[in-house]
Amino acid sequence: MIAQNFEYETPSTLEEALELLADGAKALAGGMSLIPLMKLRLAVPERVVDLRRVPGLNSIRVAEGQLHIGAMVTHYELESTPLVRRSSPLLAAAAASIGDVQVRNLGTLGGSIAHADPAADYPAALQALEAVIRIAGKGGERAVSAAEFFVDTFTTALEPGELVVEVSVPVEAAGTGVRYEKCEQLASGFALVGVAARVAKKGGKVSMARVGVTGLAGSSYRAKNVEALLEGTTGSAQDVTRAAAAVAEGKEANSDIHASADYRAHLARVYTARALRAALGTAG
Amino acid sequence: MASTVTKTEVLFGKKMKRKEDPRLITGTATYVDDIQMPGMHHAVILRSPYAAARIKGIDARGALELPGVAAVFTGADVKDVGPVPCGASLPGLRVPHHHVLAQDRTYFVGHPVAVVVATDRYIARDAVDRIEVDWEPLEAVAEPEKALEAGAPAVHPQWPDNKAFDYHQEHGEVDKVFAEADVVVKQRITSQRLIPCAMETRGVVAEWKSGEKSLTIYTSTQIPHLMRSLVAGMLGIPENRLRAVAPEVGGGFGSKLNVYAEEALMGFVAMKTGKPVKWIESRRENMLATTHGRGHVDYYEIAAKKDGTIVGIKLKLIQDVGSYHQLLTPAIPTLSVLMMPGVYRCQNIRADIVGVFTNCVPTDAYRGAGRPEAMHGIERMVDILAAEMKMDPAELRLKNFIQPEEFPYATATGLTYDSGDYAKPLKKALGIAGYAALREEQRAARSAGRLMGIGLSTYGEICAIGPSPATPAGGWESATVRIEPSGKVTVHTGCSPHGQGEETTFAQIAADELGVDFDDIIVLHGDTAIVQYGIGTFGSRGTAIGGTAMYFAIQELKAKIKRFGAMMLDCDDVTFSGGRCVCDKTGKSVSIQEIAAASYRAMKLPPKTEPGLVATYFWEPPNFTFPFGAHVVVTEVDKETGDIEVKRYVAVDDCGKIINPLVVAGQIHGGVAQGLGQALYEEAVYDDSGQLMTGEFMDYCVPKSTMMPWIEDSNTETATPVNPLGVKGVGEAGTIGCSPAVVNSVVDALSPLGVRHIDMPMNREKIWKLVQGGAA
Amino acid sequence: MKIHGSHRLPVGRERAYALLQDPEILAACMPGCEALVKVDEDLYEMKMKMALAAISGQFAGKVRIGDRNPVESFRLIVEGTGKIGFMKGEGLLRLREEGAETEVAYEGDVHVGGTIASVGQRLLDTTSKMLIKRFFGRLGERAQ
Repeated sequence: MIAQNFEYETPSTLEEALELLADGAKALAGGMSLIPLMKLRLAVPERVVDLRRVPGLNSIRVAEGQLHIGAMVTHYELESTPLVRRSSPLLAAAAASIGDVQVRNLGTLGGSIAHADPAADYPAALQALEAVIRIAGKGGERAVSAAEFFVDTFTTALEPGELVVEVSVPVEAAGTGVRYEKCEQLASGFALVGVAARVAKKGGKVSMARVGVTGLAGSSYRAKNVEALLEGTTGSAQDVTRAAAAVAEGKEANSDIHASADYRAHLARVYTARALRAALGTAG
Repeated sequence: MASTVTKTEVLFGKKMKRKEDPRLITGTATYVDDIQMPGMHHAVILRSPYAAARIKGIDARGALELPGVAAVFTGADVKDVGPVPCGASLPGLRVPHHHVLAQDRTYFVGHPVAVVVATDRYIARDAVDRIEVDWEPLEAVAEPEKALEAGAPAVHPQWPDNKAFDYHQEHGEVDKVFAEADVVVKQRITSQRLIPCAMETRGVVAEWKSGEKSLTIYTSTQIPHLMRSLVAGMLGIPENRLRAVAPEVGGGFGSKLNVYAEEALMGFVAMKTGKPVKWIESRRENMLATTHGRGHVDYYEIAAKKDGTIVGIKLKLIQDVGSYHQLLTPAIPTLSVLMMPGVYRCQNIRADIVGVFTNCVPTDAYRGAGRPEAMHGIERMVDILAAEMKMDPAELRLKNFIQPEEFPYATATGLTYDSGDYAKPLKKALGIAGYAALREEQRAARSAGRLMGIGLSTYGEICAIGPSPATPAGGWESATVRIEPSGKVTVHTGCSPHGQGEETTFAQIAADELGVDFDDIIVLHGDTAIVQYGIGTFGSRGTAIGGTAMYFAIQELKAKIKRFGAMMLDCDDVTFSGGRCVCDKTGKSVSIQEIAAASYRAMKLPPKTEPGLVATYFWEPPNFTFPFGAHVVVTEVDKETGDIEVKRYVAVDDCGKIINPLVVAGQIHGGVAQGLGQALYEEAVYDDSGQLMTGEFMDYCVPKSTMMPWIEDSNTETATPVNPLGVKGVGEAGTIGCSPAVVNSVVDALSPLGVRHIDMPMNREKIWKLVQGGAA
Repeated sequence: MKIHGSHRLPVGRERAYALLQDPEILAACMPGCEALVKVDEDLYEMKMKMALAAISGQFAGKVRIGDRNPVESFRLIVEGTGKIGFMKGEGLLRLREEGAETEVAYEGDVHVGGTIASVGQRLLDTTSKMLIKRFFGRLGERAQ
């Protein structure tokens, strides 16, 4: 549990940070994944770039119907800031379900999604929110959708030297019902499965459904088949069950000592139904 | 005469906050890792990544080249250090030679192979990565029943059958009662391997003073004196030149009731290098290389008459020993056998233990040590019998209890139960839980399709371990009570408390006996240079034996105090109470403080009386004590997911007389947490090749505070005649009572589906499969 | 840990079989493989540098090919040892023609030890699947 020697940099501008990252350094945000890996020597970066002094990565603001969150905003800030709770209750709920208080006080949105643990909580919410992730590199900035960003286990659309700088999600329209339902792996707090649901109703029918899933497979995903099955229905208990039944279709479920692939797929169906029911319950 | 105030408040039985806690919760306590010494080296240990491998060569040159590295020691350097001791003896016990560093072969993942000593921990850790070991991986076996199969890889090549020992115990007419029984039920019941997970991992600081030829070992241990005697032997130094100090110890739960390779190894390193050395175990090492607990596969059979009277119990017990015997490894399952009849009047028993070597870290004591396994077995079997006979499990228990008038009760296993009234806590627990109403609620829940369960356990345990003839290293305990010239009181206890609160409870006893303020008493322990020889804290013995030793030391002092009082008051008949000696005739009095001052000033001494007020007492208990209790647990199972919700937890424990209800409640709460851990969450999982898959808290689930149910705890008090305090011990009760009650409750919840037994841990998927009708 | 699965290669079976046994191709397609040197018939020494997000480690190991049953099946054994642990994977690969394409089905066992085993068990399954997927992905690209 003793890390290898490493150089430690604390750049005070984004340019400086990107310069260092382009040079092969490893970005350190809240350190909730990187530091334990370093202590186990599963990660042995020669140089670590602490992003805490980089200005502009901590902001939370609303502009043009979007909630923009800086990469260095902590889970605790997301779960507790009134603006976030109002504008994106789903994201706030996902943040609140992460790990424990200590982890939430230090861990950051950008750090978590860049690490792309296949059982992390944010990806489910970001898939359901169709979030846009702004990425900076030495060559400039680009933006990708959550669906493009999360590629596979520990694998994102980030190229070497690139950094997540901001995540944008829509300000939730009045009447949209949301819910994050998570079956927690009790030792680690990670999701065996986690399901984020957003639904809206119009004229007694489900007009919009978005479902994001984490923990089940190698990467988070949007369960478009579930969405399609639910949209246009009245959102009855049967509609929900039928739609939720499709959530694991075509996915290769993970297996470990805590849950077999079959059980994970079953949990995904149960938790999808639970998330949808709860979301429908608050949809106007 | 200054003060005439007589202290009258009785502290025995009073809820008092612990003296220990302010320093523990403000970070001002001193643990091993807090010890700093000038010029101190730091050690990091290279451990085997293989469960079984031949070491064909070790090249440490790369490590030695690193600036700051002082030394690297490997198996060859320490081959003359004595073996890690096994203190238990059984006929035919096979004891592999347990070197402090692996010689040409490793036997479990985490087996120490080399130690690097450097000027700081970081350099030492870097250097470990530079040691090249030429490994030849060998086939390993990690599961005891597989290890017993013909053709299984031999853990120790000299014993191809992997048997570590056999043990048989029998009483009564077992075959006859089974042949004549109306009902016989059988069940395979496991008690899985658990990782004790003390909050403080192990750690050792060793300092060699070459001028004085003396070694000091600071170590996180439950048994500093025994550790000293045994490590002195391993290192070949005189016992009186080894000082052992257990500073603050952050939990042990049995895992520090041991003598470890690292303790002797650090002593060796300090002597070789001439510099103090510190080794602090990482959490990963703790999970890999500190002893585990449990590891039973039990085959039970229980015979009964038509009316539910239990007439016979048979047990075939397979104990996963691991790769070596640690201090008490083979003794632990024998404790299970001693307690196998539980609280029931059954005189026909047969037990066969087979201890099995596996390529895993050794098992040894873990909170309850042998008794949770026994109680889990018998309490599960009684429920299985009740289900078979369609009897209420509470009624079946009441029918079979040993009755209060039968004490002292000689059991079929050779014990003499001291005192008991088993129906009392059961009836109280059922009353608190509202048993009849709960069964009504259950009927309603079942007809609504819900899976609600009510489970109970009525446990007995063997505590205050124990009389010396029945204990591997002596079962007495010692105390020195020193009344200082100022009248302040210093107690030295030979037991070495590490979280049990004895600094508080002992002070309560001493305050009552001597009539001094609670705050004027301190209790010292854990340092062999300060404290007379003692045994240690384990087996719920600290207060029942160590407290009693102190009680008797105080009685000697009281006699002396009275002699001084009589002299000072010039009175033949004096009474000592409330901290004052009073002349029965004149009513004049002197305080204990005045007497203390006079005893040390010694201007005048009573006849045949030495100066000073110090007494030392070694107390040998005449028997163990046998606490008992009843736990009632209400659960509900989520049919969709298999999740178990513990809705009610009622614990009524009888640990004899209660000194401090707060400390007792704390022990019960902690014990229940560990029992719930075993019942629901915890399991040390090794894969087929002997790799530990639960080597971090990411995968090994100890219950967190947020996962704990509200515990409705209360007590009954049945004094023991074994000691004058009437106390029995409570350190392990919660754990022992918990797991069978929880499993019984969940089995009860699933019984409409035909479920009869569930092995622990009852994780979600296992329960879900049972709900689905599959095999668990 | 048991593993099994299948991937499709956009070439015929003969070509697929040849590709899967070509050390140069294998070296280029195995994630993290830095060098593959033939030391004996069917036995190669391998240097590997794994990098998965923050996790990285160097492994030295062996690749062995056995039980050759040309164009139908063969056995692949991959072993690696490094400071963070060791791994050994052994699998039987079966090739089936699917029109112009080939389906490669694999079935085998993966053993890991050391730090990666005791702290990474929850990620072993998903990670091995991903690495296999990457391997076949690259192989597919090469095949065309």
